[in-house]
Amino acid sequence: MESHPSYKALEPLLKTYPHAAGALFQTYNDLSLAQQWNDLEVMDVPECSRGAFRGRRPKTDDLLYVIPCSLSESLSMSWFHQAFERLGKPPHIYLAINTEDSSIVYYKLSPGIVKPPV
Amino acid sequence: MSSNRSRRGGGQGKGGGRRFENNRIYAYPLPLIIPTPEERPSSLYKALGIFKGLTAEVLNPHCEGTFDVATRSIWVINSRDIQILWRRGFFGKGDLSRSEPSWHARQMNIRKLAGKRMTSEEIREKRRQERKQFKLDRAKALADAAAEADAAFREGREAALPAIPSGATWKPQPSIPDAIPETLPLDEAEDQDASVLEDVEPLEDVEHLQLTIQEAFFLSWGLDCLTILEPSTNEPMSLQSIWSSFQQVHYTIPPDPTHGARFDNPFLVHYVAYHYFRSLGWVVKGGIKFCVDYLLYKRGPVFHHAEFAVVVLPVYEDPADQQSSPFSLSGATPFSWSWLSTINRVNSQVQKTLVLAYVTIPARSRVSTDLLSSPACLAHYSVREVVLRRFVPARMRD
Repeated sequence: MESHPSYKALEPLLKTYPHAAGALFQTYNDLSLAQQWNDLEVMDVPECSRGAFRGRRPKTDDLLYVIPCSLSESLSMSWFHQAFERLGKPPHIYLAINTEDSSIVYYKLSPGIVKPPV
Repeated sequence: MSSNRSRRGGGQGKGGGRRFENNRIYAYPLPLIIPTPEERPSSLYKALGIFKGLTAEVLNPHCEGTFDVATRSIWVINSRDIQILWRRGFFGKGDLSRSEPSWHARQMNIRKLAGKRMTSEEIREKRRQERKQFKLDRAKALADAAAEADAAFREGREAALPAIPSGATWKPQPSIPDAIPETLPLDEAEDQDASVLEDVEPLEDVEHLQLTIQEAFFLSWGLDCLTILEPSTNEPMSLQSIWSSFQQVHYTIPPDPTHGARFDNPFLVHYVAYHYFRSLGWVVKGGIKFCVDYLLYKRGPVFHHAEFAVVVLPVYEDPADQQSSPFSLSGATPFSWSWLSTINRVNSQVQKTLVLAYVTIPARSRVSTDLLSSPACLAHYSVREVVLRRFVPARMRD
């Protein structure tokens, strides 16, 4: 992992939160290289003991927030609540669930009920 | 057959050509190749009942991968090894792709703006755009129908309702051909095309093939065709160190040496299920997209969708072991009917059959934990499957 080009950008958070390192690394690569997000920034969410990301999808202007986790973790409502608080109470955040075979499943979380767009 | 043959050309044509290609590329079910004997066995061999094939040498590709502790996986970077492991048994997944590593090809497609051969991700994107358009058309038709019905009621006449598009009959409107690019507009790109290809540096392929620890252990211990390297020293790991590292991976990061080895280690429980289905000939892939542990393919993902979705449910022979466990094995505690119903619904919707694989974990009171020092302990686990199908009495007579 150390020799991967993405390592430098994530090094401080990878070392601070080792149990979330795999999920952080995989999600960062997916967003920056595969999904081609723009203006990707790494943020620190100490209440959830991990880093998170903020960026824009290609061809859009909205700032989106992504918080990674791994499939083996057990998350609570207060965990989500603290994530929303720390990231500045955005209208929704994406939870990136990482697996060991490198599949990532994104879930869109909103603090309240949301009507489907169509 | 004639209707298949009438479709020609490269690209994504279904039918005879594609199937033939796939049968040729994905001919070998495992990385090891057992060559068929060239000539028929002589009468002497026949009389002795010896098959000449047994004396033939097995062709071993000797692939290599590096262990990454943080992601609990093995990374294969060598492109020859990636191709072999994917094409012979569909092992692993490209970490920037949905199946086979195709990130570099997709990036080159975007750069060259040719888009003649679409990768599976690009086909998926196209399909999603079409579905989005269908939903917009349908929503508009519904809104129009409601407005028309409303107006008709007020005017006291019959409503002339517009047709609501259905998924089966809706066709995408032919639009301006828009090959993949989202960055450069088409006319600008054509002028720059030649210069872009010369000025831009060659793109480094940063993707690797990622094997789960179960797949890697099957390849290195079961088939002996994968060498796993230690990440810091790049030295090949011995079977003993692979066996203990893979168990350590589930404790904490960094691994805690004070915990004794246990039979309910998630690596072991999942490996038992993986090895079981693999040895029966199924191609086993991860099932997170369908809320299950594994998907079983008869030949592979390129041939047909998975028929079975497997959930691994560990069963403790001795309940005391569960209480003293440092792991929280998912599926070990009794599940609720709503959980089971949800997973079954999700999979029936995509025409998959749900299989519950019960893996029995041996009791520490009966089997000595010394056995955990080698894969020989795997013989003490057992797997039983239960197939689940929803039964609707009103509709399922006969």
